[in-house]
Amino acid sequence: MFKSNVAACLLVVGFALPPLWSQAGSVPELPSGPMQAKATTACTECHDARIIVQQRLSKAAWTKEVDKMVKWGALVDAQDRDALIDYLSANFGVDKPEYVPERSRSSAAKKPTR
Amino acid sequence: MFSRRDFLRNMSGAALVASAANPLLSWATDAQIAIPGKEDLIVRSYRFFDLETPVEHFRTWLTPVQYFFVRNHMHEPSTIDPAEWKLSIGGEVEKPYTLTLAELGRLEVHSVVNTLECAGNGRAFQNPKVPGVQWEKGAVSTGRFSGPRLRDLLQRAGVKSTGKHVMFRGLDEVPGKVPPFIRSIPIEKAMDSDTLVATHLNGVPLPKHNGFPARALTPGWIGAASCKWLTEIKVLEKEFEGNFMSPGYRMPNQPVKPGEPVKPEDTHPTTALNVKSLISSPSDGSTLRSLNVPIQGVAWAGEGDVTRVEVSIDGGNSWQPAELGKERAHYAWRLFSYPWKAAKSGDYTILSRATDSQGRTQPPAPAWNPSGYLNNAIDQVKIHVQV
Repeated sequence: MFKSNVAACLLVVGFALPPLWSQAGSVPELPSGPMQAKATTACTECHDARIIVQQRLSKAAWTKEVDKMVKWGALVDAQDRDALIDYLSANFGVDKPEYVPERSRSSAAKKPTR
Repeated sequence: MFSRRDFLRNMSGAALVASAANPLLSWATDAQIAIPGKEDLIVRSYRFFDLETPVEHFRTWLTPVQYFFVRNHMHEPSTIDPAEWKLSIGGEVEKPYTLTLAELGRLEVHSVVNTLECAGNGRAFQNPKVPGVQWEKGAVSTGRFSGPRLRDLLQRAGVKSTGKHVMFRGLDEVPGKVPPFIRSIPIEKAMDSDTLVATHLNGVPLPKHNGFPARALTPGWIGAASCKWLTEIKVLEKEFEGNFMSPGYRMPNQPVKPGEPVKPEDTHPTTALNVKSLISSPSDGSTLRSLNVPIQGVAWAGEGDVTRVEVSIDGGNSWQPAELGKERAHYAWRLFSYPWKAAKSGDYTILSRATDSQGRTQPPAPAWNPSGYLNNAIDQVKIHVQV
């Protein structure tokens, strides 16, 4: 009983606070949506999702970016192009709140401080 | 003074609302990522590394190596064996040759203190927004770069009269069909006595993230002119033709309205940095518990010399001269300081504005361009004084 309460508390805390020890590659993920899986495959083969989630662009600008990336090797089926542009425009349009990045720490042994 | 975390915590109401709507924000505020050798840098991108220096670390003339910003276009070389590394010098030369790292290390060493700034520094403040790494203020750092002069390497090869540009190729690992990061500089800049093949930063071998074992150092110019992990220097008859010379890293020939498209033929390569200043203290968004507010910062001007820095506390209606630091070098920023005393508690906006030996002064707003290059608008921080 005690153990399960502790576990429940940890779960609550875990959801309430941002993780201090995020591991590169596990975060961030692209947001849910019909194109999440295809966007993840097409984009994060070459770079992580941070470079996407920090952009705040119009649909016209996302169209140019997607077409450039396809030219540079991103694997996007022709039939998925428009949906991918819609997905990026909807999630990372000019009206979205500012993205807040992480910071680096140089030593893996350093303990977290709050 | 409140810390960054206090500041973020004070914002938590807004942040929590935002994070409920957008899960991407929920993990980010206090999260840290282990990057050996790089401390407290803002992680714009991890794979590949784009690491921005918080302006609070610009309180010394030389930026410590662990705080020195990182801009990678590609993945870093997965392995570099110093014993196997070679640098080739060829193209429009009489005697092409290669150097090992040991041979490079036996050449005469020259040191240049240089302020290195990414052309895209300040891109995040462009309106309308433009694509690219959303650098805010800190894609810039100052270091003492040391290594042989590029012209010594070129003169040993014997540059032909047909040689007009010098190309740098690094060992960046290129993903997909991305064009390789290759750029060139004009022969006049390459032959300048302060242009280096740098092997050391602040007296230690270059960290891998900053270009080990050797990088070009094109002083006073945008960071992209200082190619990292150098492996080939090639003298060309004309400017290198590749994505990172055109359409990349080009500025409009004429001012353009924000959001206006620019034709490629109406652009020129981005080369020297412009005049710029940043306030390193007090921190933007901080609350201070004293009326005494020491204002500090840095100011640089590419190939020019900073001649004046002014500070305004009243939104730019009046300007007071700041004192420039004693430490100086031709291509390096100057520290500046101004001992301001607030009359009373309240909200204040502090501005800084630099002027240089070429008569250039920072403008109130950035000169918008489609890639968001060379934003040198007057800097500002907002603070709250509460006594």
